[in-house]
Amino acid sequence: MIPQNAMAVMRKDLAEFRRQKLVIGSIIAMPLLLGILIPISLFAPIAMEAPDGPTWDVENLFSTGALDPSWTMPETSSVLEGIETADVALSNTRVDNATIERAVLTGCIVHDTELRNATLDSCALDNVDLYNCIVTNSKGTALDGNAIMSIDSELTFERTRESDLEQLLPTFLNMTLILFIILPVTLPTIIASYSIVGEKNNKSLEPILASPTTDGELLLGKVLSAFVPSIASTLGAVVVGGALVNVFLAQLGEPLLPNLTWILGILVLAPLACIMSILACVIVSSRVTDVRAAQQVGGFIVMPVIVLMFGVLAGVILLTPLAMLAICAAFAAANGGLYYFAKAIFNREDILIRWA
Amino acid sequence: MIICNALTRRYDDITAISDLTLTIEDQEVFGLLGPNGAGKTTTMRMLACLISPTAGDATIGGHSILDRQGQQEIRRITGLLPEAPGLYDTLSAHANLDFYGKLYGMPSSLRERSIKEVLEKFDLWDRRDDAVGTFSKGMRQKVAIARAILHDPTYLFLDEPTAGLDPKASKTVRDYIVSLREEGKTIVINTHNLGEAERICDRVALINGRMIQVGPPENLAKGLFARTLTVTLTEEDPSLAERLGTLPFVASVEASGARLKLAVTDPERTNPQLVRWLVEQGAQVQFIEEEEYSLEDVYLALIEESGRR
Ligand SMILES: Nc1ncnc2c1ncn2[C@@H]1O[C@H](COP(=O)(O)OP(=O)(O)O)[C@@H](O)[C@H]1O
Ligand SMILES: [Mg+2]
Repeated sequence: MIPQNAMAVMRKDLAEFRRQKLVIGSIIAMPLLLGILIPISLFAPIAMEAPDGPTWDVENLFSTGALDPSWTMPETSSVLEGIETADVALSNTRVDNATIERAVLTGCIVHDTELRNATLDSCALDNVDLYNCIVTNSKGTALDGNAIMSIDSELTFERTRESDLEQLLPTFLNMTLILFIILPVTLPTIIASYSIVGEKNNKSLEPILASPTTDGELLLGKVLSAFVPSIASTLGAVVVGGALVNVFLAQLGEPLLPNLTWILGILVLAPLACIMSILACVIVSSRVTDVRAAQQVGGFIVMPVIVLMFGVLAGVILLTPLAMLAICAAFAAANGGLYYFAKAIFNREDILIRWA
Repeated sequence: MIICNALTRRYDDITAISDLTLTIEDQEVFGLLGPNGAGKTTTMRMLACLISPTAGDATIGGHSILDRQGQQEIRRITGLLPEAPGLYDTLSAHANLDFYGKLYGMPSSLRERSIKEVLEKFDLWDRRDDAVGTFSKGMRQKVAIARAILHDPTYLFLDEPTAGLDPKASKTVRDYIVSLREEGKTIVINTHNLGEAERICDRVALINGRMIQVGPPENLAKGLFARTLTVTLTEEDPSLAERLGTLPFVASVEASGARLKLAVTDPERTNPQLVRWLVEQGAQVQFIEEEEYSLEDVYLALIEESGRR
């Protein structure tokens, strides 16, 4: 399928890289480092702050009195709904959807309410935000707040942070994915920028061009020799990184990775992005006369992926599997165009006789 | 057979070679001889289908260098040693050759056999696994020549094969080229070294931006200089020199003691008359001989005369 000459060029290049410690080092070390650092910086904090301990069964809390059999649900005789008040004392009242400051509540059932500087005794609480409160002899679930003093109470706090996390998690995972896709874009630039100019400077382009190797075969060989090591080490980094993410998020239950977006991202988008980067570098490499210039121009090649990353961060682009397919299609189309462009502007005679 | 027909190549405002017309026979060792910048490399690159002529045409083994299909065919049947060896320094001699063997589509068993054969021929088989970067200049050149002949091409283009080599390495390379001729290859050699051309080429084309002369190296002098005869007398005779100058077929006379140098144009025809005349004049002739110009003189004079444009 792949022409023998292209394979020969790739094999020769790979054999050359094996003897260049710098190339090998940057291609293996950098991805592995990122594969470890990205999950640590993004997901380790979550792992450390995540709550532990039992969660109450909200359904049963108010009907059965939950864990402590000696505790009975308060009986309420009045209802207070949707008010905002302060400096009150309430007893045996059902409070719904209220905001109350400086209050004393006894034997109340409180739902969806914010309480500040309050003292509560023998209350049942559900989804209540408590700030600077003293809570005694009560039960509660889905609570949030700070500086709560609870005495002999069974209270379960469900932090706001965590519910936020649930919303943020997909974005975090997508961003991590995009960070990993930067790898196959940046990794091959060193090799690919060297591809044609390098052969020319080594004076080895002439004997290659004197052989029956076609332009297409040479270009393909050069693309492959940058592609193979870059993708291999990207996969290595992703496996390490993905495993770490799963470890850090283990408390959320089922492992989150790999999900469909990641599978598409790594198996389809990453190779496409890699090829795009390589083609752009090869084009530059066949137009400039020295390696360094090629590498500098090659630096711009990360731009499409950076744009993608900011899109994801800003919430403009949601990386659903379908969106991924669309992005992949765009990259594939760009690659087709770039390949023909590379072949069209590859002028062997020009490259050979241009003064180095 | 290689046929160049008014082959011309310009680079922007420089004409590197113009109107080169020549025929190189099969199994001939043909030299393109000329000073630096004479257009030798340019000509060779056109023949190897690396660059295209800006005018004219050439065919190699019947394939035109202007035709896409022909170019591909020519690349298969030719081998090129470029000006610079262009090897991969970090790779071994074996790996370097193996790569090119693949580019020429050689199957692996044939590749192995050919690599062994050429490396043995150059005494490099023992060093086959060493990085080429550790080789001396002469060894690298040998590897580069090995690369050019690995696929057993019919036509071989060697651009200054001994340039920069020490005399011993040069000799190895030259001997090898001679042995290749015996294998029936057609070889074109670029050189600015007249001695080299003289030693290994059947014919040379002296070029300097254009063709100056073509023929066997020893014929370069023919027709260029008025030929010189040296007449040695037993004793000095100034009046004889003066009288010689009046002969119609003698262009000039230069006397130094008993030796007279005569410039003549057609000694084969006029020498009998000259000898008869000398005897009639009572001259005591010891020797008459024709002066041999060194090729070096011829070469330099031709280059001088041709100038550039
Ligand atoms: N790539 C090039 N671009 C412009 N001019 C060139 C190029 N290569 C050679 N020339 C010019 O063409 C002439 C012939 O060069 P070349 O064929 O290399 O000569 P030689 O091999 O006999 O030394 C020289 O004047 C040289 O300066
Ligand atoms: Mg030259």
